[in-house]
Amino acid sequence: MRALKRLLARIRNVAASRRGDERLREEMEAHLAMQSEENVRAGMAPAEARRQARLKFGAVEAVREEYHAEEGLPILESVAQDTRFSLRQMRRSPGFTLAVVLTLTLGIGATTAIFTLVYSTLLRSLPYPAADRIVAIHDTRISGQSTGGLMSVPRYFDVLARNRSFAAMGFFFFDQSTMIAGNRLPMAVQAAGTNAGFWDVLGARPMLGRTFDAQDDQPKMPETVVLSYSGWQKLFGGDQGVLHERITLDGAAATIIGVMPPSVDAPSGIDMWHTAQFPASGWNYRGEAVRFINVLARLRPGVTAAMAQSDLNRIGVQLQSQYPQTDGMWRFTSESLRDDRYGALRPALVALQLAAAVLLLIACVNVANLLLSRASARQREVAVRRALGASAGRIARQFLTESLVLAIVGGSAGLAAAWLLVHEAAAKLPGRLSAPGTVEMHWPVAALAAAVSILTGIVFGLVPAVESRRVELNTAMKRGEARVGGSGNRFRSALVAAQAGLCLVLLVGAALLGESLWRLVRSPLGFEPDHLLTFSVKLPWDAQNAAITNFYDAVQRRVEALPGVVAVGQISALPTRDWHLRSSFDADWLPRIPNQPAINAEDRSIAGNLLGAMRVPLLQGRTFTDADTRLQQSPVLVNQALAQRFLPGGNPVGRHLLAGGESHEIIGVIANIRGTAGALSNPIGPEVYWPADSPGASAQGRYFVVRTQLPPAALVRSIREQVHAVDSRQAIGDVATMDELLDQSVAQPRLNMAVVAAFAGIALLLACVGIYGVVAYFVAQRTQEIGVRMALGATRSQIAGLFLRRAMVPTVAGAAAGTGFALAAGRLLSSQLYGVQVDDPRIYAASALALLIPVLAAAMGAALRAARMNPLDALRIE
Amino acid sequence: MKQKKDVQQGTLALMVLKTLDVLGPLHGYGIARRIEQISGDLLSVNQGTLYPVLLRLEQEGAVESDWGPSENNRRARFYRLTRVGRSLLEAERRDWEQTAAIIARFFEVKSEDLA
Repeated sequence: MRALKRLLARIRNVAASRRGDERLREEMEAHLAMQSEENVRAGMAPAEARRQARLKFGAVEAVREEYHAEEGLPILESVAQDTRFSLRQMRRSPGFTLAVVLTLTLGIGATTAIFTLVYSTLLRSLPYPAADRIVAIHDTRISGQSTGGLMSVPRYFDVLARNRSFAAMGFFFFDQSTMIAGNRLPMAVQAAGTNAGFWDVLGARPMLGRTFDAQDDQPKMPETVVLSYSGWQKLFGGDQGVLHERITLDGAAATIIGVMPPSVDAPSGIDMWHTAQFPASGWNYRGEAVRFINVLARLRPGVTAAMAQSDLNRIGVQLQSQYPQTDGMWRFTSESLRDDRYGALRPALVALQLAAAVLLLIACVNVANLLLSRASARQREVAVRRALGASAGRIARQFLTESLVLAIVGGSAGLAAAWLLVHEAAAKLPGRLSAPGTVEMHWPVAALAAAVSILTGIVFGLVPAVESRRVELNTAMKRGEARVGGSGNRFRSALVAAQAGLCLVLLVGAALLGESLWRLVRSPLGFEPDHLLTFSVKLPWDAQNAAITNFYDAVQRRVEALPGVVAVGQISALPTRDWHLRSSFDADWLPRIPNQPAINAEDRSIAGNLLGAMRVPLLQGRTFTDADTRLQQSPVLVNQALAQRFLPGGNPVGRHLLAGGESHEIIGVIANIRGTAGALSNPIGPEVYWPADSPGASAQGRYFVVRTQLPPAALVRSIREQVHAVDSRQAIGDVATMDELLDQSVAQPRLNMAVVAAFAGIALLLACVGIYGVVAYFVAQRTQEIGVRMALGATRSQIAGLFLRRAMVPTVAGAAAGTGFALAAGRLLSSQLYGVQVDDPRIYAASALALLIPVLAAAMGAALRAARMNPLDALRIE
Repeated sequence: MKQKKDVQQGTLALMVLKTLDVLGPLHGYGIARRIEQISGDLLSVNQGTLYPVLLRLEQEGAVESDWGPSENNRRARFYRLTRVGRSLLEAERRDWEQTAAIIARFFEVKSEDLA
């Protein structure tokens, strides 16, 4: 209590910069005067009286010092003093300061920028109330490939009816829609069909108007639409009067009832949500065609994620026995909304954060090295200060303050650089990271940057601080004798080894990702992506088969007739699109087991001259003819993967796939098309291609693939006109060249590679600079010795070799240790790699060369300077 | 070395408090004189060390001070014991007596007493 009072009084004094000097002086004056008077009264002469009074009072300076120490916060004052001194030191050696600050800016900037990514995705709470209570429920095949977690609609309603875990359940499905607003031309929009429960799960409030309620979601009710913020801006220019506006969506009348704030991004990148209006019962068909919804649910209070999962398991088992034919192979899995969104990014982000941390470590090692060299140069200063009475602790504190000041300056610069980078590059990030508001710098990130700066300041400041304690006053005061002992040199060698090892880890990471990207981009796609323009068209979901076929036929013919067009094809989903439709089949050449179909394959419907337009090689048999589309039981094409897996070495042409009591003749085998079910790096599975225009296909939405001799962009306008001419209520959407789609598809691996490669490059530069510095330091330290050696007959190459060894032995040792680390760290990357093994020895050899050659050059540069020294000059240095 | 100084400072502070308790408000010189009279040589030299102690006591709230005229109409700073100071003095006195009693007993003890 008393100590606290005293501390507060002291803080008050310091804050008010109040000084008791005046008061003390007056009190001392009074004291001395009274003592003198007393002495005079006792019979002394006035001068003597005053002298005696002074003697009795004691050392005035000491009292003042003590008084002053009582009064303020001496530590704080010495910190302020040290800081001022540090700033002065920084100004006096701008080159050194610049080197340290730049190194730290790179290290802390990189760490902060990557942490911004990590925080924005893996740590920050999602923009919904109690977002950690929201789970995504996936439908998962017990074995084999699933359809990206999509659930079938009847199974959703089964879970809704039977669960004991969820306060609310909702779903959404992507819908390419055509919107006509007012008297404007039709526009292709990205919509999501949802139910009323979806809004209860998210718990998000609309910015304007309202969201759907259970009434709106009843079948046959008037269709209602909620706009996303970006859709509102893009389609309606952010007009406040948009509420209650009537639009036409896929040929049906709909009313806009609300606008959501920008934070609501489930799913991201859509323009609007519309009511799904699915009936809760009467779903007799439970097959793959109704497996298209993404399901979210909010946990009931008191229910944990694990409890919800066991509830889902229970329902899954019930459905397996109830509907063995359709549901027998399926179970429910669940994960948090965060994992659903960003889980796939986690390994890449963790790897990038580790790479950034390694870079930061290298930066710290470099700065420690610089500070150590400087501390050696300042030994005489330390010795003088010690001789004048500064305690070892006081000097260590001085060194620590200096490094902290450097770290804080470097950290601020790094934070500013990271902020700029995030500000500029956030919108250009791949995939959903680029959605507005996803990647932003928040306070916790800045706090981390500050903490990292201070920590690094302490870490690399401790080295010279500890070294300064070792100074032997006696030897250091003698000019030229001041040397940190051999331990300092060993420490330097350890720093070189650490730097080399860490650098190798980054180089290996960059090489792995680079090789993987190279293979991803270079391995055959199964088609020729150049000169391909793609776009989508979506007819209303209730369009009749005949109308669909006529419409697409007409568009096909008109686009084929455009000048410059070489070939035109249609497909239900383009490669690289995360779109799934799978079926299970028995085959007439395989044994049949009830409820366990032999083949599960991705389905695509094609029309027009798709194989010709994409230039997909036809390996066996023939492609579809018009006659095929008239057959009740369509013939099919299969890909090479299906043929190889289920009929190795045989010819499937003429054999049959069996499903739902129908028999489909295989008429041809085509090459494997990569990216059919999403990422290019996904392994290629069995695929079955159907004629889109066959009876019962109902392929309302299709993508066109147009091979053209002209620049693809030049065609877009005339294609739009042709589609409009066929049906004035239709529009084209998703216009992109195939090259662009492929580019987007490899954006994330490319970013990973670019970031790690940039880090590795910086690390290599830092390592070279650091190692050059260390060798130069050794040379400077042993100039005299060089002179003596030369005088005794050492050749220049011997001298150079001496220093080269000093640098290369720890470098090679560090690189060897780094190889071990890289092997361990490489496992983290394995999920990010394509076509390259984590322990590929060629990668390690190349990385080691990439490290050793520049380092050797840097060390050689410094060592040759030693070798070129004139022995006479070297001896005369003293 | 350092510890000895602390003990002395603590002792000095206790003496200051007791002096103010007995004699009422007093200036620094007056306190020094009284302590010198009573304790002999403890404060016959280095009287200046009193002032940091007074400042410290004031920051702890044990004493208050203000300028006032001395006996010879000289401007001097007078120190006065506060309520906090009084209870502090009481507590310190008890502590001190207890310590002194224990130490005294240790000094009186003879080897046969411990047998």
